[in-house]
Amino acid sequence: MVSDANAAEIERRRLEEAAADSAEIDRTPVRTYWQLVRQRFLKHRLAVIAVIVLIVLATYAIVVPTVTGDAWRETQLFRDDAPPELFNEDGDLTFAVLGYNEQGQNLFARLGKATQTSLTIGLAAVVLIVMIGVFIGSIAGYVGGWIDNLLMRFVDVMLSLPGLFIILMITAFFGQGNVWVVIIAIGLTGWTTAARLVRAEFLSLREVDYVQAARALGASPQRIILRHMLPPALAPIVVAATLGIADSVVVESALSFLGFGIGRDGASLGTMLQNAREYFFSGPLKVLYPGVVLILIVLSASFLGDGLRDALDPRQRVEK
Amino acid sequence: MTVTERHVGPLLEIKGLKTHFFTQDGVVKAVDDVTFQISHGQTLGVVGESGCGKSVTSLSVMRLIDRPGRIVAGEVLLNGEDLLAKRDADMRDVRGDQVSMIFQEPMTSLNPVFTCGDQIAEAVQQHTAVSRREAWDRAIEMMRVVGIADAKRRAGEHPHQLSGGMRQRVMIAMALSTDPDLLIADEPTTALDVTIQAQILEVMRDLRTKNRMAIMLITHDLGVVAEMADEVVVMYAGKVVERADVRTVFGTPHHPYTKGLLLSIPRLDERVERLEVIKGTVPSPLNLPTGCLFKRRCPYRMRVCDTAPPYQEVGPGHFSRCWLTPAGEEPAVGADATGDEAEAAAEQLTVETR
Amino acid sequence: MASYILRRTLQAIPILFGVAIISFAIVQLAPGSPIDRFRSPNVRPETLENLIRLYGLDRPVYEQFVNWFSTFVQFWRTDAWGYSLVDGRSVRDTVVDRMPATLLLGGTALIITIILAVPIGILAAVRQYSWADKAITTFATIGYAIPSFLLGLYIAYIGTVVFRGAFPGFGMVSLPGVEGRGTPLDVAWHMVLPVTSLAIQQIAGWSRYVRAKMLEVLNQDYVRTAKAKGLSAAKVTYKHALRNALIPVITLFGLTLPGLLAGAVITESIFSWPGLGFLGLQAVTQRDYPLVLAFVMVGGFGVVLGNLLADVLYGVADPRIKY
Repeated sequence: MVSDANAAEIERRRLEEAAADSAEIDRTPVRTYWQLVRQRFLKHRLAVIAVIVLIVLATYAIVVPTVTGDAWRETQLFRDDAPPELFNEDGDLTFAVLGYNEQGQNLFARLGKATQTSLTIGLAAVVLIVMIGVFIGSIAGYVGGWIDNLLMRFVDVMLSLPGLFIILMITAFFGQGNVWVVIIAIGLTGWTTAARLVRAEFLSLREVDYVQAARALGASPQRIILRHMLPPALAPIVVAATLGIADSVVVESALSFLGFGIGRDGASLGTMLQNAREYFFSGPLKVLYPGVVLILIVLSASFLGDGLRDALDPRQRVEK
Repeated sequence: MTVTERHVGPLLEIKGLKTHFFTQDGVVKAVDDVTFQISHGQTLGVVGESGCGKSVTSLSVMRLIDRPGRIVAGEVLLNGEDLLAKRDADMRDVRGDQVSMIFQEPMTSLNPVFTCGDQIAEAVQQHTAVSRREAWDRAIEMMRVVGIADAKRRAGEHPHQLSGGMRQRVMIAMALSTDPDLLIADEPTTALDVTIQAQILEVMRDLRTKNRMAIMLITHDLGVVAEMADEVVVMYAGKVVERADVRTVFGTPHHPYTKGLLLSIPRLDERVERLEVIKGTVPSPLNLPTGCLFKRRCPYRMRVCDTAPPYQEVGPGHFSRCWLTPAGEEPAVGADATGDEAEAAAEQLTVETR
Repeated sequence: MASYILRRTLQAIPILFGVAIISFAIVQLAPGSPIDRFRSPNVRPETLENLIRLYGLDRPVYEQFVNWFSTFVQFWRTDAWGYSLVDGRSVRDTVVDRMPATLLLGGTALIITIILAVPIGILAAVRQYSWADKAITTFATIGYAIPSFLLGLYIAYIGTVVFRGAFPGFGMVSLPGVEGRGTPLDVAWHMVLPVTSLAIQQIAGWSRYVRAKMLEVLNQDYVRTAKAKGLSAAKVTYKHALRNALIPVITLFGLTLPGLLAGAVITESIFSWPGLGFLGLQAVTQRDYPLVLAFVMVGGFGVVLGNLLADVLYGVADPRIKY
């Protein structure tokens, strides 16, 4: 080889070159957890479409009833089963693009009101579900011991009850036609999944390495809970809540369909379907509109839930 | 039982094998132009870090590559016959009969719902015309051969009732029950404790002598290689970077990567402040450097390394994919050579029959 | 194994007890009294008081519960579950009467599901990413997402309106006077729509599950080992992979079984199928409390039984489980 001094020089130069290469490659941008979550979510075409659909439906549910006011329940007997129109004879804008039902009610307006009712009840019920579920689940998971045992037996009992039937009982006995009764009934029976999820998360999080590490580093309990335990615990809750919305809306619709929910006078997707059923032969299309809206809500919430699940915790993916 | 005539020449010849994976993010060249041979009864150690392509090479030999991977080029000659050209049905006859394979994770490599004996007997019955009774007896016999105590009882048990070491022995028994010419062992001891590891290697050594069986031993553990291998192939990022008999590889390695690997083994007889490492990390297969794949981490790096290095014969039966001369000096064409000049030099130095 | 079953059965008892308490509580908390139906200007107050004493409504709540529950568990007695407030018949007899119709519906749907969903799921998994897989997955996702009552409604719609007169829209047998009334063929004809409705839902769910489990198994190491032994693709799929994938499917079967008991309330309602579910619905509407309580208990029993069955079947199928 060349002389020692030169060799060392050449050596150093080559090492520098090599280091420069490595540094270049390592200069990948660092992203925060939430940025990664958003990035992963946006990759899900279906989930993104689902969000758009839900926004459209929510807008429909908010705008139309506000704009049309009482049109959804205004019966105009001379307008029974009238065809779609934008303006009536007087020149007023009715925007009855879906026509009228047998009682002369503006179907478009009615559908808007129905969507509003169903979505509101669904959301309210989910809020209740999450509240109860997180409460019970966190206690069970955090405290453990016999309290955990007792609570889980309770969950077992709740799961053994025929869910829909119990809700039927509650709404029938305690106040037919009362929106709040419906919400409470759905909430009281639907929290079990959320509770289990929270409990599972808290149980495993107590022992997880990075929590132990944080404790070893002297982090305060608040910091540990807020920064280390809550984000992973929230993920399954958010997913369960999203899917729960679909579920609650369906339950409410089923209730109203069977005549138990908000009563025949109210407008929900369920009552519209019940109405449509009675007039199968005369108004065949009436069965389509509320059904399509309902399916859209359920599918969107499902895809949204899937997208959120993958975005928040890609480890959970079972299949590609 | 295998009835292949002992073919003149190497048992297994891999020539220019290329196995690529076509993923959403790009093409991963897991195995890129790999060539080596194994002779009858020889043990070849294939060494390299995770992701260097050694497992994919072995799976390619067995033709067990699934989507999105595909063998795109090359030949795999077993006793002179190209396995890559065979029909599926014929390949299945070869698999498990002339060439057997054992895998890394004994805990999950056996089917949990069938007994150990059944699984071994199944291999026997697949390739030989024997009755169920005979296959079962053979299974028990093989289990004894690999050193499982109380083999008869164990044969009727399910995998979860056996320890990790015993399961790996069952795997070996299953692989050897058809008396293969070649055993491919992919990291057979990595998942086991050191003491069990020693036992398993003992079993393998025993059997290869008895059956005149060749072994392709894939591992990242240089200790295992030193114990078991006759010849060694070192792989990096999908290519063979060095090949020689085991003594040469450990005594006088040529390629900087091999040297780095050997230097990084901690020694009990030296006091050091810091352990030696190879700087940097394995390049992402989607972002490979031009020229020599090791250049970013190589302490001997030169300008000429931006051109793909030659695969030289640096000693008798000793090959290395590097620009450095056999003596370890700058190449004749010069340390700063580039472009056509460098390419021509590489072409000239590269050995044809590798 | 026997001791395991015994242990689990003992564990099930407190659960049933819990179910009893909750349903009893709901009924008790409901505003109004069971005897309200008998109130009318013609009825004298003394008669009402007699009724209250007769039904034990004047006793403290826990005593009422104990009385009810202790009688309830003696299911062999005709009066065990009380008498209907609507028609006075023994609740137990009424339930037993209506059960076959529900079992017929649910059982047929389940059989069809198993026959169709398992092969479909396997096909989708084995040919992953093919157009067959995509079609199956799409169908399964949509079928799973459509609410059951909506599906029932649309099937009823298609069957009765779109194909006018093709299928009957309600009941289990044709109306009196129609020829062939009550024959098995007549019943079968009436079964087509509701069973289709139930089956589509279940097939969607099951095939998704089978596909997922099969995919999981196909990625396992032991499948790779089987291939390395030179076994044919068929043997690898149907002998090595399927056997493992079916284990959780068997438990799914055990869990679905109890659903047959409580009846598909919604489907039976849409098609006016005279089964247990429809009965329960009417009972709630009519505030027929004894019948309502019996329905909930039967449902709860079904769930508990189903869980037990699922666990036992799992233990039988998977050699790794020891009892």
